[in-house]
Amino acid sequence: MKKLLPLVVEDYRADKKDEFYNRDQSFRYMDGAAELYRAYAFKLLMVRKYVKRGHPSILVEFFDMGNSEDAFGIFSYQTEDEEVGVGQGSDYGGGLLRFWRGKYFANVYAEQDTPSMRNDVLKIGHVISEKVKRKGQKPSLIRFLPSEGLSERSIRYFHLHQVLNHHYFISHQNILHLGERTNGILATYPQQQTKEKNFLLLLQYPSKKLAETAFQSFVKAYMPDAIDSRAIKTENGKWASMKIYQQYLLIVFDASSEEKAGELIKATLRGLEGK
Amino acid sequence: MTMTKRKTITRRDFLRGTVYTALGGTLGSTLGKEAKGEEKVKVVLIRDENAIDSRGQIDQRIIQKMLDQGVCEFLGEKNPVQAWEKLIKPSDVVGIKSNVWHYLPTPEGLENAIVKRVIDAGVPKKNIGIDDRGVLNNPIFKSSTALINVRPLRTHHWSGIGGCIKNYVMFVSVPWLYHSEACSPLGSIWNKPIVKGKTRLNILSLIRTQFYNRGAHHFDRRFVSEYKGLLIGNDPVALDAVGSRLLQLQRIAHFGEDRPLDNPPIHIFVADEKYKLGVSNLRRIEIVKLGWTEGTLL
Repeated sequence: MKKLLPLVVEDYRADKKDEFYNRDQSFRYMDGAAELYRAYAFKLLMVRKYVKRGHPSILVEFFDMGNSEDAFGIFSYQTEDEEVGVGQGSDYGGGLLRFWRGKYFANVYAEQDTPSMRNDVLKIGHVISEKVKRKGQKPSLIRFLPSEGLSERSIRYFHLHQVLNHHYFISHQNILHLGERTNGILATYPQQQTKEKNFLLLLQYPSKKLAETAFQSFVKAYMPDAIDSRAIKTENGKWASMKIYQQYLLIVFDASSEEKAGELIKATLRGLEGK
Repeated sequence: MTMTKRKTITRRDFLRGTVYTALGGTLGSTLGKEAKGEEKVKVVLIRDENAIDSRGQIDQRIIQKMLDQGVCEFLGEKNPVQAWEKLIKPSDVVGIKSNVWHYLPTPEGLENAIVKRVIDAGVPKKNIGIDDRGVLNNPIFKSSTALINVRPLRTHHWSGIGGCIKNYVMFVSVPWLYHSEACSPLGSIWNKPIVKGKTRLNILSLIRTQFYNRGAHHFDRRFVSEYKGLLIGNDPVALDAVGSRLLQLQRIAHFGEDRPLDNPPIHIFVADEKYKLGVSNLRRIEIVKLGWTEGTLL
């Protein structure tokens, strides 16, 4: 990893006190925040400070996420700010640059958020991302998402229910039986006219049997009143609908009608059936 | 409402309003609506617009004044020393459980203000300790007879919010074992011998609050409010319920809409329903407000 972070970027120099934390040591560096990274295949964190005389220092936290899918996953956790064209996906706001490329994810940030510091943070981010020669693949589940109306920047990739709950709270208990071996996508479909949002949850289990178990668990806990139709009008007046297909679960939340929910399910199924 | 221990809380419970608004990301406020025939838990909110000066420094003198007024109001005393004498005996060994999180620690001025009043209550300085991550190895805490629980209010990735209940997680040797189900088991820590029955006062510092998680370490200066308040009481669940609601209102004020917490603070509700640690229903909490009123939100 050291080879990917240059010692000098224009007037900034590495302060030569690099720190490394593996998966088990990460709590020492990040306290509670480490759990988010550990919710993915995170392997190693390198922390380097860049210093420049008369300027606030810039900190780089460079994560080997084990694979590119999980690098994308940790990046997709928060994409609320500005895409600034660094790496394969980036987000800049409040002095913090987040980006991913290949199997790597990085935080680059300064103590102060000024226009000049922004330029310096982005410059360092660009240099690092260009050092990562091999681009990575996004999670394969993404290709099954219906493209019509999809908000690309809202795509979230995860494995654990705690991360799903961050994006869309379902239950404090793991009623969908998510775990390290499950892959999940939450996608948002904003409705132009009503400004409401439909949510599509697409889950991939290691086997049909595990998908069936999760399906039954979810129906029992979340929509016991929809045993036959697999669709239900929830207490906010919106519709939730679900479908199991091989080792996949498809669930739509907050659709404006049962038909809308069904359309989104069907469009996703077409993608899965044609895979 | 009633809830069995095995009840699974889902989004639909929030939509129905069967989980109290203290848990965030829910329906509208129930604050102010009367709960007939139920005894209310008292908490004191005191604010002072001068608690932070123009250079961003916390004013120790103002903090002391706020603490004194708040504790007096809470205990129905006029004199702060007499109020603290109601809480602490001279023979007590007092652990002040603070919070050292780098980005938003318990203000040192608040720790000092508490120490001053514990000494005023007759406790020798050698029998007073302040600690966070070292409490299990701290002789004062190991032999403590009284605890004062003080920390800042903030959002927290795994537990929804970091408040009074969560502040005792350092009293267990493996804190992350309490992270399941959005940290639901946190309330159980309060029944462990090292803390059980010892907490004389809970103080949630609202001098600065972090109302939204973002950033490399779940901290972003843009989402920190200078609320300049203290929330004081003896029910950690009630304080956290009010705190959780405040953070929700701050998000709404900042973003123009509520944005969900990383996890809803289920542990507050569970601390009430399962561990019987206090009251999470906002309708059963009386907030006595003192001082600066601008932007109180609650």
